[in-house]
Amino acid sequence: MLILTRKLGESLLIGNDIRITVTEIKGKNVRIGIKAPVSIPVYREEIYHAVLEENRLATTLTEIGDKQTTTMLGKLLNRYEMKEKRLSEGREEGSRDK
Amino acid sequence: MELQTARFGNINIDESHIITMCGPILGFDNLKKFVLIDKKEEAAFWWLQSVDDGAVVFVVVNPFLIKLDYKPELQEEDVKLLEIDDQADVLLLGIVTIGSTPPEISVNVRAPIVINWKKKLGKQIVLDDKSLDVQYRIQMNIAGH
Repeated sequence: MLILTRKLGESLLIGNDIRITVTEIKGKNVRIGIKAPVSIPVYREEIYHAVLEENRLATTLTEIGDKQTTTMLGKLLNRYEMKEKRLSEGREEGSRDK
Repeated sequence: MELQTARFGNINIDESHIITMCGPILGFDNLKKFVLIDKKEEAAFWWLQSVDDGAVVFVVVNPFLIKLDYKPELQEEDVKLLEIDDQADVLLLGIVTIGSTPPEISVNVRAPIVINWKKKLGKQIVLDDKSLDVQYRIQMNIAGH
């Protein structure tokens, strides 16, 4: 890892398009400003990992048998008595014979 | 076009329905194209099916139905990235995690998927609000019903 020291208000340039600035130092907290192209997402590391892990976990539901998933979801719907919001276009119809 | 999926078998999708991710679903950076599938039996829940990898599919739900006080804020950068020019074009989806032991359902309200429905562009955004959970548990007694 490259380690550089900056004073309050100073910046780092990463490539041509990313700038990191120390905007405030308060006790143990450092406030960091990031200027980057919109196509480059910026995340706090710990939340990045939490979301990544949760996304992965979410895809494992396909290992649960169809009937169990449908039963759980069905019960949830009964509980909330949700009225489905139908989008007028752009949704695929699920195949009924599956 | 024909799409071979693990969950739904061989399905036919309309290419104009394909959503392109401008920002990744974290952990699935290589998957750029998805379609939203509606199974009538599970009305409020939809499936976000990867077009690039037929084995990957997410259960998604309108998070506002689950968390009634949900007030996510979109950053200016994301509005630009998703080319949003009308708030009415924005669709928000929460990825659902279903656990079997113990049986429970949670929704990731911390990192919803934002879709510009008109332009078919999407991104998973991570909200600043620390009080929002990646596992917002839906209170219910599944076993008892």
